[in-house]
Amino acid sequence: MLKADNLVSIRQYLVSIVIVWILIAILLARFFYIQILSHDRYRKKANTNRIRKVTTTAPRGLILDRNGHILVDNLPTYVLTAIPGELSEKGQKFGFISKIIGLDSIRVSKNYSKYYRGRFISTRLAKDLTFTQISKLEENKLDLEGIYYQQIPERYFPSRVRASHILGYVKEVDKKIRKSIPNKSEYELGDMIGWNGLEKKYELYLKGKRGVKFYEVDNLGREVGYVSDLPLINPKPGQNIVTTIDIEIQESIEALMKNKRGVILVGNPSSGEILGAVSAPDYKPDLFTGLMLEEDWKNILYDPGKPLINRFNSGLYPPGSIVKMVTVATLMKNPKFDPLTLQDCAGAYQFGDRLFGCWLGQGHGKMNLNSALINSCDVYFYKTVNLYDLGLLSDTFNEFGFGATTKVDIIGEAKGLVPNKAYMNKKHGRYGWSKGAILNFSIGQGELLVTPIQVLNYINLLATRGEANTPHFVLGTSLPENTHPQISSENWDRIINAMGEVISHDNGTGKKAQPNSPMVKVYGKTGTAENPHGNNHAWFVGWAEFSNQNYSIVVLLENAGSGGAVAAPIAGKVFTNILKKQDFASK
Amino acid sequence: MIFELKKFEIKDLPTNIIWAVSILTVIGLLVLKSISQHHIGTILGNPFSKQILFMVPAIISTIIIIFIPKYIIHKYAYLIYVFGIIIVLLPFLGKSHAGTYRWLDIGLPFALQPSEFAKIFTTIALARYLSDHNLKMKLVTSTIFPIIMVLIPTVIVLKQPDLGTAIVMIVPVLPMLYWAGARPFYLFLFLAPLFSMLTAFHTIAFTIWAIILGLTIFIARPKLLLSLLLFFGNIFIGLLSPILWNSLSAYQQNRVLTFINPDKDPLGAAYQIIQSKTAIGSGGLFGKGWGAGTQTHLNFLPVQESDFILSVIGEELGFITISIVLLVFGYFISQIMKKSYLSNDRFSSLALVGFATILLSHVFVNTAMTVGLIPVKGLPLPFISAGGSFLISSYFMLGLILNLSINYSD
Repeated sequence: MLKADNLVSIRQYLVSIVIVWILIAILLARFFYIQILSHDRYRKKANTNRIRKVTTTAPRGLILDRNGHILVDNLPTYVLTAIPGELSEKGQKFGFISKIIGLDSIRVSKNYSKYYRGRFISTRLAKDLTFTQISKLEENKLDLEGIYYQQIPERYFPSRVRASHILGYVKEVDKKIRKSIPNKSEYELGDMIGWNGLEKKYELYLKGKRGVKFYEVDNLGREVGYVSDLPLINPKPGQNIVTTIDIEIQESIEALMKNKRGVILVGNPSSGEILGAVSAPDYKPDLFTGLMLEEDWKNILYDPGKPLINRFNSGLYPPGSIVKMVTVATLMKNPKFDPLTLQDCAGAYQFGDRLFGCWLGQGHGKMNLNSALINSCDVYFYKTVNLYDLGLLSDTFNEFGFGATTKVDIIGEAKGLVPNKAYMNKKHGRYGWSKGAILNFSIGQGELLVTPIQVLNYINLLATRGEANTPHFVLGTSLPENTHPQISSENWDRIINAMGEVISHDNGTGKKAQPNSPMVKVYGKTGTAENPHGNNHAWFVGWAEFSNQNYSIVVLLENAGSGGAVAAPIAGKVFTNILKKQDFASK
Repeated sequence: MIFELKKFEIKDLPTNIIWAVSILTVIGLLVLKSISQHHIGTILGNPFSKQILFMVPAIISTIIIIFIPKYIIHKYAYLIYVFGIIIVLLPFLGKSHAGTYRWLDIGLPFALQPSEFAKIFTTIALARYLSDHNLKMKLVTSTIFPIIMVLIPTVIVLKQPDLGTAIVMIVPVLPMLYWAGARPFYLFLFLAPLFSMLTAFHTIAFTIWAIILGLTIFIARPKLLLSLLLFFGNIFIGLLSPILWNSLSAYQQNRVLTFINPDKDPLGAAYQIIQSKTAIGSGGLFGKGWGAGTQTHLNFLPVQESDFILSVIGEELGFITISIVLLVFGYFISQIMKKSYLSNDRFSSLALVGFATILLSHVFVNTAMTVGLIPVKGLPLPFISAGGSFLISSYFMLGLILNLSINYSD
């Protein structure tokens, strides 16, 4: 039982009741005033003066190359819409529309149910209508009550490069997508949203802000005009994005990769800017805009060349000899290592019960560090594995950025694989692997996997003696911190000199990367990576010192054979093209 | 006073209150059914079926609450008050929904609004405090602690930010203090600064207010020094309010400004008020008929299933039904107050008058908003508006009202 008695007096009770009924009376009086006394005014307003809110699409920001050439633009296109609530005899009308402008009527009704979101929300029926089609509709306007058309901006690619894997694409927001995005209130069905590449990464900048218009519509829903006292808000276009891409370099490397499978990346080693990037085969950038036929989509999806995969960002490859400089940096960490000591290469090396071959079956003879790099001798690296353990080797790989994403500003980057002790113990058991595995890693084989963008970062680090910035595609973005390997300047000299001789020495494996001008000094390394998917992958990585700036390069050709024979000449052509362009510019 | 020792019996439940709630619920469902005609998609995407679905836990919670003995409610009043404060703090730990922290994700396809429950818990705790202590309510100091008790959750809710619920949360303290015996003059003093602030933006209003303030102080006759302090303190607050105004969030300022001049913000609140008034006004005496409201079905009316549901009633079912709804609400609230007056114990009496005030605040704020009497506040109409946690919390409160209405001995 609750102790305290109720002490409320009749006066307190009555005061409260009176307040309640006064408030109710005020509300009733107000309703009486609006509903009974002002009924005629509001009825007229409801019948003749309905205000409809219509939002207008904001054009997305443009994407430009570093010199201001437009890579991605907007083109206005006509969209056919219907207001379901104003539409009578739907099927018949769709048939009629299809007849006069030559569309598939099944497609129109499919779109109708795809975009339907409410009886009085405009629902898309078709897009990419031509002006002729619109004029035909206009002629028959009286028979098409409830059918409207609108102009919306659509992505358009005016430049001569494709750059499809860099730019990415936009996708139409459908019900499923709208459900999955966090800021769904900012998108309407039929809007475009960046779905890949830079379009996705910089969606927040590119997308802009919708505008709002208030229309007065009559009681049949026909627009009678703007509402003067409700001002219109113009859509705010998205911000433009200036990429690091140089359209001329991009064009030249795309041409070089025609009908090939692989990657070319061209960069500025110290700034980390990527001047050109191609992942071949690719697709036309406008593949995803406009109407895509199911057939086209299937062709792309089941193409054995897998054109949708961004090879430079998410492709995982065994690196082969191109990572021998990492092995060298590991050796240099051991004070006992002497770069001048000679190792004899007889074409193969017996380690335990296994025979490890050199790529040159007849053997290279006596090799020191310099000649081993120039000739890409494998046995030299086999014979020096005793100077370090797997932990030191995997650490050095990590210092050069392998085994982690570079944080390049394109989504979907893979992080590759640098096997360390923990990984090997987990995969093979504590005693299931031996030092023999390290022999493979020392020449870039075994479980090692890298992405071309990591390789570009690696070569940038070599070219700048560890100072390079993180690779990126948009000018002036804030960059994540890059890794910076610590190597003495004497040792940097040794590595870099050897890489120069890979090109300039008579026996150098990368000779063919030299452009046809002695003025350009090229440094590099070839790689011929064995892989379980057929022929060897051909690699060439390096950089060239031009009079005004350096260019770093990564060439990868899938299953194409020897790096020196196949990849290096392509690098040479890229440098020659850059040289031509500069000569042209200086003239 | 002699108590009849009486057991709790189901037949003692106040049937008139149950009838009132049933009428309101049925009208709400009828209107939601009309709105839902053109909705397609999942059950949770359709306000009518969603409401039906939520009725189940709502009614179950009412029934459970009815059978909880009064002394248990009294005993754990402070504990659930603390619990209420914790749950209104929880949303701040999660992600914001459209910039607010009103909603609590609990892994279900809908979110909960903890403040809906916290307002009830706060009222119960307040009832216990005011009934337990044989307070000398004639002293101004006795009213300060209860006000602090209410202010804690209110400030948190205000920070979410949810101005509407904060108002509903703080208002019950006034009638509760009044029923506990506080001098109306002191309550007036608590409200005075608010009026001073509001009127400060208008010279004539401020002058009139200053006169009312002076007269009230003169009639109540406190000591001279106190009188002067009260009078000039209020004037000072009034003069200070433009500075306070600038400290309000933009959306709050926006709402107040829109109220003063509706043409200022056509996109937001004014658009809503114009559409709401057009819907109601065009409905007339009998309305346009169920399912035939053009404003409603042409989607001109915003948030029609919750905040502006009364506008749908006004448009489709007319002034007749609006009157029924408001009269039923008036009757319902008066009945709760009557039960409160007739209650044997002070705890039940105070809790009941608190609940009545919560309901009255909801009804008044929501209704006044739809007809443009006050700025737009996101407050739904109890038992009628669609809404998951609001529906459950309303029925939860109904359970408490029914329970505390019966005089029985534990």
